[in-house]
Amino acid sequence: MTGTIMHIDMNTGTGSVRHDPELFAAFLGGTAVATELLFRHGNPQGDPLAPESPIIFTIGPFSSLFPVATKTVAMFKSPLSGELGESHAGGRMAMSLREAGLDALVITGRAERPSYLVIENEQAIIKSASTFHGQSSAATERILREAEGKSGRKVSILRIGPAGERLSPMACATVDGSRHFGRLGLGAVLGSKNLKAIVVSGTKTLPLARPKEFKAVYDTLYDRVVKSKEMKKYHDLGTPANIRPLSMIRGLPTRNFSQGNFEGADAISGERFAKDFLVQHTSCAHCQCGCIHMAELREEFAPYHYSTNRISYDYELIYAMGSMLSLSSPEEILKLLLFTEKQGWDAISLGCTLAWATEAFLRGTLSLDDTEGLPLSFGDCGSYLSVLERMAKGEGEFFRDLEKGCAWCANKRGGTEWAIQYGGVEPGGYLTGENFTVTCLLGIRHSHLDDNGYSIDQNLLNASKPLEEQVRAQVKEARWRMVLNSLVVCLFARGVYDAEVILQGLDALGEQWNEARLRDLAAQALKRKHEWKRLCGFDPAEVAVPEKIYSVQTSNGMIDRERLAERLRLYREEAGI
Amino acid sequence: MNVKYLRVINRDQCIGCFSCMYACSRMVRNAAGSGKAALRVKAYAGVEGAFSIRVCARCTDPDCANACPAGALTKAPGGGVRLNKELCISCMACVKACAISALQWDEEEKHPLPCIHCGQCVKYCPNNVLALSEKKEGGDQR
Repeated sequence: MTGTIMHIDMNTGTGSVRHDPELFAAFLGGTAVATELLFRHGNPQGDPLAPESPIIFTIGPFSSLFPVATKTVAMFKSPLSGELGESHAGGRMAMSLREAGLDALVITGRAERPSYLVIENEQAIIKSASTFHGQSSAATERILREAEGKSGRKVSILRIGPAGERLSPMACATVDGSRHFGRLGLGAVLGSKNLKAIVVSGTKTLPLARPKEFKAVYDTLYDRVVKSKEMKKYHDLGTPANIRPLSMIRGLPTRNFSQGNFEGADAISGERFAKDFLVQHTSCAHCQCGCIHMAELREEFAPYHYSTNRISYDYELIYAMGSMLSLSSPEEILKLLLFTEKQGWDAISLGCTLAWATEAFLRGTLSLDDTEGLPLSFGDCGSYLSVLERMAKGEGEFFRDLEKGCAWCANKRGGTEWAIQYGGVEPGGYLTGENFTVTCLLGIRHSHLDDNGYSIDQNLLNASKPLEEQVRAQVKEARWRMVLNSLVVCLFARGVYDAEVILQGLDALGEQWNEARLRDLAAQALKRKHEWKRLCGFDPAEVAVPEKIYSVQTSNGMIDRERLAERLRLYREEAGI
Repeated sequence: MNVKYLRVINRDQCIGCFSCMYACSRMVRNAAGSGKAALRVKAYAGVEGAFSIRVCARCTDPDCANACPAGALTKAPGGGVRLNKELCISCMACVKACAISALQWDEEEKHPLPCIHCGQCVKYCPNNVLALSEKKEGGDQR
């Protein structure tokens, strides 16, 4: 890679480009490079929403060149967890950054008024967003696709919805159709910079230095993506294929993690969505898999008059807005998701926070006075829609609080025992057992994607394994994902990209790596992230589990305090953190 | 004599992955990226999932070649066009003349990218959207 880094200063409205090929040669790209840039530009003790707090975007050596190398890495200080903020999104952003010739983007400062950034090759212009400030995420994309569209050229549009403008720490940033930098509040960090949107396009291609070798590696990957079974499940039913099997093994969190089997699982299964709501698959740029599942929601708004909306759905979204809230109607889930999408909230954090609020209300921790007369109960979609409407209008203290996440709400109002969050971050949809709990606690982003904890849990149902072996496998996977996230390939293609083909691909691009060096980079990258987290105040030896988790049945029975503590100790030892 | 020509046979099966564009750039022009593709997948804003694929129609009387003032883009034997880069003055008249927006522009080198109907894009489409068909030389494709 050329190591071309564009730095945008929102204070002055200027962009400058410099080249740091050594950084990319040493750290590959993507997540490992972004971590180093965070050390360089960020202040771990600083306010995540301060103007000087940087937002870093990076791509990697495989981005947009090989199949399913579709993701862009975002790195920042998270306003939700108060420590490492890292999120990955697909869409076309990696394609556009590549075509613009940019390997990294660093944004600091704060514009005086609502603005958006237009990047075309190595030129950057900051423009006024006064006319569409406050518009939904979806409307913003429509507006900018017309205003900044380029004839015959692909343009990527990242934007925030009103939630990001209100600085909600659970606000995401949406890319192109419906891909998201979710989970850790990137939307609020963009909002704090008065940056409503980023439009990227470019005109560059990369001449192939070794065309024969490149095409051979490409064909191997293409065949694995399209013709093998590796990615078939993501294309066919997609991740919602997991709803039924997880519920069957008591691993689908239901009614705020009260149980793992949901009586409505069949009604909200991947099969049901596909049969009655799926209208099309779409894909990120240069991904032949096409895992994006679009549902159509048709609503009668007046007699014989209908509105129709398309909403993308996924396993995690159905869990967060379905089983967590005890909703077994796909239409109701889609209505909540449509509202969420327009506002630009992270759906998992929002679903978990609504579930916390419901349990707090039912247990009497929250009164009708607190909820301003709105009773909350599981299964009541109408109330949940009212909650979202009030949150969007910023009406009432309770509703303004809700968009700060369940940890924040519980600290203020009580009910921390059943505020299901790890390090301030609401979890993905797994009640599979202790390995997943370790993922949530010690994963660098507190994300289900940080390692394969939930998968190790599920495999335990078939064959037991010594504890040490489970933890070692988990750390090994967490490290290996540093390589995948540095290249940067989509984690859905983790079965496609093995070490051998990765090294062949790097070789075809003229990058000098070997397996030992890749594994060394992975171990170092994981440690560097933990180093940054420690500087922020995160101590891996002092992590807390919500009390409720100890009293529910997982796929692997109850979570044992002592055994969990032992797992955490082994994990820290194995990872060297 | 029959000639091969590219067709869109299942537009509604397109997932918008741009694999065809990447294949064209890579296989025909030895470039990684989508910018040297001689076809285009267009997506419509706000209507996720609506794609339109514009491929060269291999016209027997090509509007693009007719619009070229420099004699750079000329009718090829059997229909379609060929480019003499030396003569191209980068005026873009050809691209503007193509009513279906199938003729693409190389933004790096500033010349049109005529399709050679080789079928590489067909080979790399995962969803059977494109096909390489045959028609009689000089005949109507439909």
